[in-house]
Amino acid sequence: MITLIFFLSVAALLFSSLFFLARRKPRAEGGSFALIEARQALNALQSGLLPVELVKRIFAQEDWEFVRSEAPKPVRILFMEERKKTALLWIDEVRVQVRNLQRFHRGSARSYARLNPRVELELALSFAALLSACRLLHVLVYVGGPYAAPRMIGAMANAAARTCEISERSLAFLNAAQMGMLNGRPAGHATR
Amino acid sequence: MSRWLIPSAGDLVELLLLFRAVQGHLFRRYYFFFSYVVSVILASVILGAVLMTEPGSPHYQRWYWTVQFATLVTGYGILLEILNHVLAPYPGAERFARISGLAAFGVIFCFALLAPVIIPRWSPGTVIEFERDLRCVQAIFIFGLLAVIFYYGIPIGKNMKGMIMGYGLYIFTSLVSLALRSYAGTAFDRVWDVVQPLSFVASLVIWLVALWSYCPNPAPDPNIRLEEDYEALVLRTKGLIGTIRSYLGKAARA
Repeated sequence: MITLIFFLSVAALLFSSLFFLARRKPRAEGGSFALIEARQALNALQSGLLPVELVKRIFAQEDWEFVRSEAPKPVRILFMEERKKTALLWIDEVRVQVRNLQRFHRGSARSYARLNPRVELELALSFAALLSACRLLHVLVYVGGPYAAPRMIGAMANAAARTCEISERSLAFLNAAQMGMLNGRPAGHATR
Repeated sequence: MSRWLIPSAGDLVELLLLFRAVQGHLFRRYYFFFSYVVSVILASVILGAVLMTEPGSPHYQRWYWTVQFATLVTGYGILLEILNHVLAPYPGAERFARISGLAAFGVIFCFALLAPVIIPRWSPGTVIEFERDLRCVQAIFIFGLLAVIFYYGIPIGKNMKGMIMGYGLYIFTSLVSLALRSYAGTAFDRVWDVVQPLSFVASLVIWLVALWSYCPNPAPDPNIRLEEDYEALVLRTKGLIGTIRSYLGKAARA
């Protein structure tokens, strides 16, 4: 029976991968489009999502203190709901952009003939752990509200900011002229 | 009726597939794949001849398993074709897949050579289990190949997608039916006699549609070239992950 379960499990794995292949969109990663995405992800993180003022404002404890002391209950509930929504959106967006940076690494690595499978496996696991941490934060905020993990949010913003610094160096070869050239093309062109 | 109808439909689709391949000059482009199709047609001809010359002969069983294993080995040509067409423009991803694929093929090859020596009684039951094991390795190989393709976001053209889908579907049904056959015994034979050829006809139809005309695999963008080496890229990405992890770790401990 165990043998049968083993073979059926392998068959199920194969079938699920074929299912994903059938549903896969004809879009590649790592082409010029991915490079633009990586650059845009960096811009979005640095200027749109990670400025300290923005993070502080989204998770500002004083705002809640003020509303709690001054406003009636329905306003307090509405405030909490809206803040939670904003916080969740912010976390999701940071995760998406970190994912774009990861995609950039994969898109670059696949072209190197000296790629080391063991190192790549290690990196894949590390990225997975990192994205899981972001997911955990999402759950914490979803369950406990926007003020459930203030320190973790601050640390996540710092970490993502540092990520941007490092990624920016890896994208340094994409100078303004090259970006202009890439942006001038239809997005899907290079990936078809 | 299904005993004759399904294989006849299969033969018809095989011939149509070959006809389209000749017409569309696909033979040269997908040499390994069409070698497999030809080997399958030859297998059908050999088995048909044995049935006609010696109806009800016990030799048929022997011939059946011999040609079955021959086509199983040529089936690896399809996997080679996928490696050549889909992964060749991406040396890194190809290296990843090739190392794991060669290891799998080495194991199968050694096992196929040693099996008659190791297994003293070459009974049909043993043969079914042996084929099941080989199909399982093929399934793992295709799964690994697809994992590499998904992970590195490698684009696949219509021809290659159809080739993988068709063969993958056939391996899937073969593995399930062989596993159930070796578990349930001869009671499963009635289902097996229909499912196995039917799934192959389904694969042939997928191949026929996907390979109706030549559709090259999308080539990577040659305009973007990174001027750094792999070690530098890995070092940078590792540094990036380490930094984020240390920050999150600190936050979790706080």
